[in-house]
Amino acid sequence: MKLVIDESRCKGCNLCVLVCPYGIFREGTELNSRGVVSPVLDRPERCTNCRLQALYGRMLCGVCHMICPDQAIAWVEERPFEPHRVEVEF
Amino acid sequence: MIAPDWFREDRLPHIYCTGCGNGTVLNCTLAAVEEMGWERSETAFISGIGCSSRAPGYILADSLHTTHGRALAFATGVKMAKPDLNVVVFTGDGDLAAIGGNHFIHACRRNVDMTVVCMNNQIYGMTGGQGSPTTPLGAISTTTPYGASEPAFDLAELAVAAGANYVARWTSYHVKELTRAVTTGMQTPGLAFIEVRTQCPTNYGRHNKLRSVPAMIEHLRSHAMLVEKRDRLAREGRPIPEGTFTVGELVRRNRPAMGVKQ
Amino acid sequence: MQGNAACAEGALAAGCRFFGGYPITPSTEIAETMARRLPKMGGVFISMEDELASIAAVIGAAWTGARAMTATSGPGFSLMMENIGYAAMTETPCVIVNVQRGGPSTGQPTRAAQGDMLQCRFGSHGDYSIIALTPNSVQEMFDLTVKAFDLADRFRVPTFLMADEIVGHMRERVTIPDAVDVTSRRPLAEGCLPFEAGNDGVPGFAPFGLGRSVHVTGLTHDERGYPDTTDPGAHDRLVRRLVAKVESARRDIADYEVTNPDAETVFVTYGPPSRTVEQVMRDRPDDSIGHLRLRVVWPFPEFALQEFGNAKVFLMPELNMGQMVREVQRHVDQPVIPLEKIGGELHTPAELVRALEAHR
Repeated sequence: MKLVIDESRCKGCNLCVLVCPYGIFREGTELNSRGVVSPVLDRPERCTNCRLQALYGRMLCGVCHMICPDQAIAWVEERPFEPHRVEVEF
Repeated sequence: MIAPDWFREDRLPHIYCTGCGNGTVLNCTLAAVEEMGWERSETAFISGIGCSSRAPGYILADSLHTTHGRALAFATGVKMAKPDLNVVVFTGDGDLAAIGGNHFIHACRRNVDMTVVCMNNQIYGMTGGQGSPTTPLGAISTTTPYGASEPAFDLAELAVAAGANYVARWTSYHVKELTRAVTTGMQTPGLAFIEVRTQCPTNYGRHNKLRSVPAMIEHLRSHAMLVEKRDRLAREGRPIPEGTFTVGELVRRNRPAMGVKQ
Repeated sequence: MQGNAACAEGALAAGCRFFGGYPITPSTEIAETMARRLPKMGGVFISMEDELASIAAVIGAAWTGARAMTATSGPGFSLMMENIGYAAMTETPCVIVNVQRGGPSTGQPTRAAQGDMLQCRFGSHGDYSIIALTPNSVQEMFDLTVKAFDLADRFRVPTFLMADEIVGHMRERVTIPDAVDVTSRRPLAEGCLPFEAGNDGVPGFAPFGLGRSVHVTGLTHDERGYPDTTDPGAHDRLVRRLVAKVESARRDIADYEVTNPDAETVFVTYGPPSRTVEQVMRDRPDDSIGHLRLRVVWPFPEFALQEFGNAKVFLMPELNMGQMVREVQRHVDQPVIPLEKIGGELHTPAELVRALEAHR
């Protein structure tokens, strides 16, 4: 699964950046079409939910999802063969 | 998306400001509703007036957006006339403690079986930032430009004294604990009062040197102290830092309750 | 039976199963009767902390589908005004009994008056319309309470029973039928929006608990029930409809009694002063006095006045300083003489005869 920020809802408060225990977000720099600076995914491969929701069958962590006041964060299935960064653990 | 079945998608994005704690509390409450497994046809949301009370307008269920301060009185009528309904009340610090003070203490006294979520942002947000009964001493607001001169209410302690069966306080930073507290409150028969200290960056933060949203959340997080820790410090005779407030479950008891579903 | 008790019995016969109230002289007996009788009939009686909470609880209960009512007097009535406006705006059917007493303020708690008649129509802020009934006997305390519930449900409007201490506290014989006909709220049809009006201007009603997910708000709202406070068109449509649904059905709602329509001198009354007029008419063998007794005062039935084609003067005895008389004055060209009496005592036949002679 991958995390997406819905730019039609995000108001750029950066709370997700503050609370993520894995530090996957970073404050953005570009204004989007609504005039908002949305956060960007700096290290999405470290998101436990993205990696393990399919395995455990339930939401893991999800603090950003809960704290987002605008309900702008959601997880979606990746498209087949969509390139994404992985974290390799030994 | 949190509790997707419960949001009125056609009304989103909502009117809350950037970084408003109310959005977070709405998420946590609906997550709790989902965890309880409540049906849409057996749940009603009731609110008063204010930013907090706009929440039911975004929830896809029967909802009553009532007059300022009277949400608990309306909720008492709804619950007593139809005890099978699960009643959740959204209210704010002004709505509950100022104009609604009388209804608050009586609802706690009666211990009507409902869950009250109070979004305490320590200001009157919707009307532009006037001082409320929970604005801390010395804080700046548009009606206290020289610093608030009235001591503030401790809403959770009020609820404990008035007799509610379950009282907890968390902040909009502690999302997991808050969801769990709301769920526990919904499970407890009798009045469950959950006070949530939330951030109002636009009206409280801007006037009180907490301009950015993360700064306000940091302020809430760092001034929150677990009840157990506060009790331990008191027992050991150590001083409690200035400006902290307790978070956690303040009381859970079994006083007689009214309107409990059979 | 006492008038107040008859009112409570009427409510129970009409199916009222929720009462939220606060005691206030002279309406307390209604609450006490409901407290005794409601639980036995599977209803809910709850003593709320003040009158605002009382009417709030009544509105909340009405939204679960119950027939709900409260009873109060002047000071409590003033407190209820904000939530009465809320009931009007959200089209919540409920019945409010005001057993009027001497005012203003604490006034004369144990004496009668009719001083809240304009307040029941215009008491809350903004434009809206309500229905008000005025009983003049213990039997009418029963009958008109039943009628109030039916009207409230039919028009989805707060309906007032404007009684007073005389009618509330007097004791007379009452006939209580075994069953009364009840017209319930029209349910909200599938596929209809919660605040979309039918042909009569009244939307169907969807109580909580049926999964219709109705959002009820006191803010100006559109047909979906969602707040829409900035569109002038939405506000215009909504508020005009709230007023029109009652005003346009004036003839249908009206309930009045006409005696001697050809008379030249006509008394217009509602409530207890009508009994004094009836006594005056009984004392005279001729038909020279006409009498219009209103049982529904709001919406005001101005057409009832037209039934007196020969009228040269209208006399209106009221237990106030001239309230409903203003409505009569603005609808007829003939002189309308207010016969005001405050202080708590009813007009005596002699006083009315003196007024009659003075204005022939």
